[in-house]
Amino acid sequence: MQSTILHISRAQCQKGGEPLFAPIDLTLKPGQMAVVAGNNGSGKTTLLEAVACLGVFSYGGINFAPYDNQEKWLLHSHYIGHSLGNKANLSCLENLKFAAAINGIKVRERQLSETLDSVGLRGYEYQFASDLSAGQKKRLALGRLLLLNKQFWLLDEPFVNLDTTGCDWLFTCISDHINNGGAALLTAHDNKRIHEKADHLIQLERP
Amino acid sequence: MRFWILLQRDVLVAWRKKSNIYQPLVFQLLIVTMFPLGLGAGAQTLQKIAPAVVWILALISTLITLENIFKDDYEDGSLALYVLSGMSLPLAVLGKAAAHWLTTGLPVILFAPVIAVLLHLPSTAYGVLMLSLLIATPIFSLLGTVGSALIMNIKNGGMLLSVLIMPLLAPVLIFGAGAVLETTLGNNPSGHLSLLAGCFVLSLSLAPLAAAAAIKVNLE
Amino acid sequence: MGSPPSFYRITGYWLKPLLILAMLLMVYGLVDGLFFAPPDYQQGDSYRIMFVHVPAAWMSMFIYGIIGVSGIIAFVWRMKVAEAVMMASAPIGALFTALTLLTGMLWGKPMWGTYWDWDARMTSELILLFLYIGVMGIYSAYDDDPRKAARLAALVAIIGLVNLPIIRYSVVWWTSIHQGASISLMGGNSGIKEWSMLRPLLVMALATKFYYLYSMLHRARSYLLRTEQNKSWVIKQVIED
Repeated sequence: MQSTILHISRAQCQKGGEPLFAPIDLTLKPGQMAVVAGNNGSGKTTLLEAVACLGVFSYGGINFAPYDNQEKWLLHSHYIGHSLGNKANLSCLENLKFAAAINGIKVRERQLSETLDSVGLRGYEYQFASDLSAGQKKRLALGRLLLLNKQFWLLDEPFVNLDTTGCDWLFTCISDHINNGGAALLTAHDNKRIHEKADHLIQLERP
Repeated sequence: MRFWILLQRDVLVAWRKKSNIYQPLVFQLLIVTMFPLGLGAGAQTLQKIAPAVVWILALISTLITLENIFKDDYEDGSLALYVLSGMSLPLAVLGKAAAHWLTTGLPVILFAPVIAVLLHLPSTAYGVLMLSLLIATPIFSLLGTVGSALIMNIKNGGMLLSVLIMPLLAPVLIFGAGAVLETTLGNNPSGHLSLLAGCFVLSLSLAPLAAAAAIKVNLE
Repeated sequence: MGSPPSFYRITGYWLKPLLILAMLLMVYGLVDGLFFAPPDYQQGDSYRIMFVHVPAAWMSMFIYGIIGVSGIIAFVWRMKVAEAVMMASAPIGALFTALTLLTGMLWGKPMWGTYWDWDARMTSELILLFLYIGVMGIYSAYDDDPRKAARLAALVAIIGLVNLPIIRYSVVWWTSIHQGASISLMGGNSGIKEWSMLRPLLVMALATKFYYLYSMLHRARSYLLRTEQNKSWVIKQVIED
């Protein structure tokens, strides 16, 4: 993996013309994890969307060294937000297959079922995503991270809806990713363990 | 190619939810039943309004399906999947429009003769009717992507969508229904049809750009 | 002029003169048009509604042009003042369009014996009204985020501007096929060439222009105050006022 570095400097997001949080700075290198914390409505999701290029920063800048353009950054990051991105009437396999194909990644059938295995959805290959429980839907979406193998994971509240084993699994999953030279930026409002593990803890405060 | 992948997925999603495909047709059938009831069943009366009614029904039944082109994807988050995949956004819009045309426009074209029979459209006009719809339904889908992208994150945006794209559809209706009318009157419809084709070329080249711009602004 | 504070400050001096000018011209134009201009030899006195109708029709198109151009500026260069001008112009333009339609209908009754006729001018004026409603509708649908609302409205305005010639052409073509040549609202070879009829018309056209400028600037200024309410210049301005 190339060493991409995410720089955010003096950045602020706005909602309805008003800044949501005080300016933040962050330098995220491969092998590091950053956790964004803050109360409800403090702008965690808006911040993550802006980093993922689904939104914009109203002030300050973001750059993705060594890339100066957004397209390259998109090739190296994957974002999972509150709306998970699963199509309700596609099966789990089809959902994963679409995600891989639209990202230009060639996968074999075996890889797809391995991914479903490792997120604990073995046997659900041909179930529609709408038939899954909330936690399982989350697992299906998280499966995309393993399948696409991007360097930067941008996760909005990834632990929500997961059961204890699911949380443990995701925790090791993120740790492994970081040990392998990946990086993660995630929001988690009440998970002590992930806050302790984080290399950067960003507390969003009122401007 | 990513265009095909998106197209395939959308067609599959629509196919799994068949009500989306047949509802516009049922809607047409319902409305066309009202014309004889309200207007009198005289074949001559119906024949006179047939070119316009067949065309307006095709337009309105498409109009009610446009809202969801991007709205569904926005709501379940799969919009982010292709917006962030790095694929060119206008190309994605084209894929969405093509899928919408295959699942809505094509059935409407194939169903048009049924409506035409019910309204006693002269048999000489069937070919031109199908041809005009063949040129025009892709325009509906293309302009629909623009409207849908503009309203994708507002609730009950259907009415607003109609207001936004009705002015854009007015020329299409004039040329399309006009072509059918001219044929029933025994005139040559080629002038109407070539203007309709002009509208198609214009919307094919501009609508994806406009829709992509609307998506970009909506995500800011 | 490009920045909201200086736009607000400079245009503040213009409001009163513009209003006075608009009112004076309007009073003169109406009195001249309604009492002193000679009656038309075909239409008698009923043609006098023209002195409202024609300037309003000119304004309805002129203002859409302004909206389209400021929409382009707002969309491409993200200029706040352009957003303000665009959104301030929209309701005024819509009102002029409605006024055009209304006076056109009132004029149509004595002239053609019907309030409404689907001729090219009235039809395209009606579609123009839809375009205005679209611009305002998309803006009000996003009222929680004025910046995004203005950018989307700008996009709608640009799309409308591109389509306006096509709509206009198709409608003219449509009426020419279905109903023969459209009826000229100028009354064909009537006495419009006479200076005494032309004078009030031109005065009224100027009056509506000044009225538009006054009303638009007034609205644009309050638009800027509303959307920039937390900026320091607004707070200072409010204290000064």
